[in-house]
Amino acid sequence: MAVTGMTRTNGLKKALPLLLPAYGWLTLAIFLPLSAMVYFSLLTTMSSTTPSLTLANYAAFFSDPLYAVLLLRSVKLALLVMMICVVIGFPAAYVLAKIFKGRAREAIFLIVILPFWSNSLVRVFSWSMVLREGGILDVVLNAILPFKVSVDLMYSYPAVVIGLVHSYLPYMVLTCYLSLQAIDDALIDAARSLGASRTTILRRVIAPLALPGVLAGSALIFIPVIGSFMEPRILGGRGGTLYGTVIEDQFTAVYNWPLGAALSFILLAVVLAILLAAAPVLRKAA
Amino acid sequence: MMKKTTAILVGLGLLLTATTAMAKDLHVLNWKGYGTDEPFATKAFEAMTGDKVVNDFFNSEQEMLTKLRTNPGLYDVVMINAAFMQQALEEKLVQPIDIKTIENYKDIDAAKATSTMLNVDGKTYGVPWTWGLTTIAINEKAFDTPPTSIKEMWNPDHKGRVTIRDDAVEAIQLGALATGQNINDIKDIDAVKTSLAALLPNIRTFWSSENDWNQMVASNQIDLGTYWSGSAGRAKTKFKLPVALAIPKEGAVGWLDTFAIPQGAKNVEGAERFIDYMLSPDFYTKWDETVGAPVSANARAVAALPADSFNRKVMGAPAVADRIQFQEPITDAQREDYLKLWQSLKVGTN
Amino acid sequence: MIRASAFLPGLGRFYIGLVLAFLYLPLVIMAAMSFNASPFYQLPFESTTHWYVALANDDGLIAATFNSLKIAILTTAIATVLGTAASLGLFRYEFTGKRLLQALIVPPIAIPWLISGTAMLIFFFGTGIGRGLHAILLGHVALALPYVIIVVSARLQTFSRDLEDAAASLGASAWQTTWKVTLPLIAPGVIAGGLFAFAVSFDQFVVSYFLATPGQTTLPVEIYAAIRKGFTPEINAVSTIIIVFSMSLMLVVSRFFRFGGDH
Repeated sequence: MAVTGMTRTNGLKKALPLLLPAYGWLTLAIFLPLSAMVYFSLLTTMSSTTPSLTLANYAAFFSDPLYAVLLLRSVKLALLVMMICVVIGFPAAYVLAKIFKGRAREAIFLIVILPFWSNSLVRVFSWSMVLREGGILDVVLNAILPFKVSVDLMYSYPAVVIGLVHSYLPYMVLTCYLSLQAIDDALIDAARSLGASRTTILRRVIAPLALPGVLAGSALIFIPVIGSFMEPRILGGRGGTLYGTVIEDQFTAVYNWPLGAALSFILLAVVLAILLAAAPVLRKAA
Repeated sequence: MMKKTTAILVGLGLLLTATTAMAKDLHVLNWKGYGTDEPFATKAFEAMTGDKVVNDFFNSEQEMLTKLRTNPGLYDVVMINAAFMQQALEEKLVQPIDIKTIENYKDIDAAKATSTMLNVDGKTYGVPWTWGLTTIAINEKAFDTPPTSIKEMWNPDHKGRVTIRDDAVEAIQLGALATGQNINDIKDIDAVKTSLAALLPNIRTFWSSENDWNQMVASNQIDLGTYWSGSAGRAKTKFKLPVALAIPKEGAVGWLDTFAIPQGAKNVEGAERFIDYMLSPDFYTKWDETVGAPVSANARAVAALPADSFNRKVMGAPAVADRIQFQEPITDAQREDYLKLWQSLKVGTN
Repeated sequence: MIRASAFLPGLGRFYIGLVLAFLYLPLVIMAAMSFNASPFYQLPFESTTHWYVALANDDGLIAATFNSLKIAILTTAIATVLGTAASLGLFRYEFTGKRLLQALIVPPIAIPWLISGTAMLIFFFGTGIGRGLHAILLGHVALALPYVIIVVSARLQTFSRDLEDAAASLGASAWQTTWKVTLPLIAPGVIAGGLFAFAVSFDQFVVSYFLATPGQTTLPVEIYAAIRKGFTPEINAVSTIIIVFSMSLMLVVSRFFRFGGDH
């Protein structure tokens, strides 16, 4: 690409005024505080007045299978939630972007994202009304179906998945919509007039152009779900122990910030490693 | 290193709060919905002294300690479970209380008032306020006659209809009671582990708030579970739920809640008057009758309750008193071990 | 695919209906329970406006709600502007360390909020920033920024750099290019980023919980504290009012303001 007015050489100097406010803010409110946490993660204990530095908290992760088992469980949950969100969210975004037109589209688009302006705790409690034995789902299904079923999904893994998908689905619809809506309809018409089949259009024209949106949505879902602890605790019952809840325990049940911080940074490292490993594969796909 | 950092932090914090504090406000730190924030009480106290009560809340004892650490000078009164007082003292988060200023102090049950958890080197750091039990409560719809043994929770008839709190210490102490051990000196931890592992299949879910418990009873999802005595009282009195407390023959865990004055409090005089008011029979009888409360540490306040009230009749009975094992402080290391054990049990990696 | 069959659009509308039903099911229940007498969501349904009356008299909850709105609106404004600027910086220029800056967006999302909250509390306390609404705003903007940057960057990837280059070669200044060419085309992304920022702030309870002081608190903090002892349907009532209010606001906005970005 020709280097013209918007030159990309000597980029940092020009980029700096644009980047500085945001990254300055992040430094003050996130990076510096987290640096303090890195320091805590290297302490032997919080309560003694003379703690010493150690890597024992990081070693703890490897010495007991508990943490690795839970981290794997959390990663699997995050992948599952993410995939369900892609499967449900992408078609919804497609319909919104390509079938609805004008004001109706904008109105429905807003209505889709409105639920995540409500309080997540209230939403989770409402789900318990739906999923429990004798709850809404149970009653409705029994009213429709000719045979008797007993639906009690509360305090189970499916309940956690449902609650999380509900919380994060709007992220996927939103980001997919943004990239699908940017695709010029003329491009699709052109492909069709050249004799491309529907699947070819989807595969060769729409998918590559929609990919940034799908990826952004996936990242915005995958990353926070790994560390989630509220939905699993409330909806998961006995099986609701995950990596996030174990980290939470270090801060609320015991005064073991060093271990809690170390577990968090291991989580961060794993997330970054997964994103890094996925990057080349995805670039190839694109 | 930490000490120095803490000193700097505290210094900065004092500077900051000194400029923002308002005279005659009384900042109280407690669980939400636990007496100090009852509208009738804050109104009465304000009318009596002119001090405006400002409540702040915590959701776990660790959070309470963190709030004290990072807000020196903000709070005037803090509610601390006696078992956590030692930690607050070690970190110099609380100051000695001049008990002469608290009129109702003389009526506090002597064993509780002189507890070594609250008194160090002849100075009093905690004023006993209420006490209660962590024991089992039942859904009255599920029982014709209340169970007498804690083992009822292990009964396969209640499969998927039992709840316990998601708290490592409480769970381990429950296991200790069920295996006939002293909760403060558990000798056979493997027996506790086996016992809890056997209980897990009966568990529907873990509760973490009163609201969880009450909702599960209201929708008839549980038969029985561990609960706090004051909370069971509130469920019955305030919310009219079919909840009854059972004190099993194996015993129950007793806890003692106390008031302390944080280091650097700016309204110490107000704090003393507030603690005194919280101990008064006036406040207590109204609290227990209209809302539901644990047992007051003030014997005169309990005596002012109607003769048939639960807190006077059942909790005051000698047969019950014999069965109570009061919680003693737990070291950080012990707490961490318990947590680890509890997490492993829940995940099933043990 | 679009006009090939009349059947597909109908199916598409039905599908959107299903998705909306799934998304709104808990909200409808939340609203219904705000009119139910039982504080424990018990059935049968017994109609009452008791919780709305209680809410009207609950000064603390109302004040917290307005604090939440104030902070969410300020967060949205600040995070959208700063985040869009940063996205443009990352999109336009090549420089060493760019990958690192992009990776730095991950920690605020990946680190559980509990840890970020504790870290902020200690750091703000140690540096004299202290707790209170200003600290909450500081934290919320930082948590919302990565969302804005990710969403706006995704939109920018569908945007051709040639357009900016063309504008520049025609003599437009960098500002003119940004205002006249780039921003209009990525507007849907910027607006979506703002919606994210609002949601992140308005629903944020962990970080706020650590940074709130008595009297300077937000709605989720009040709700979080309330669930310990008696989670009253008052909470449902205030949530219902907020949803109904924002839905009306959004529908009005969508009537007068085209942001879907038809091109």
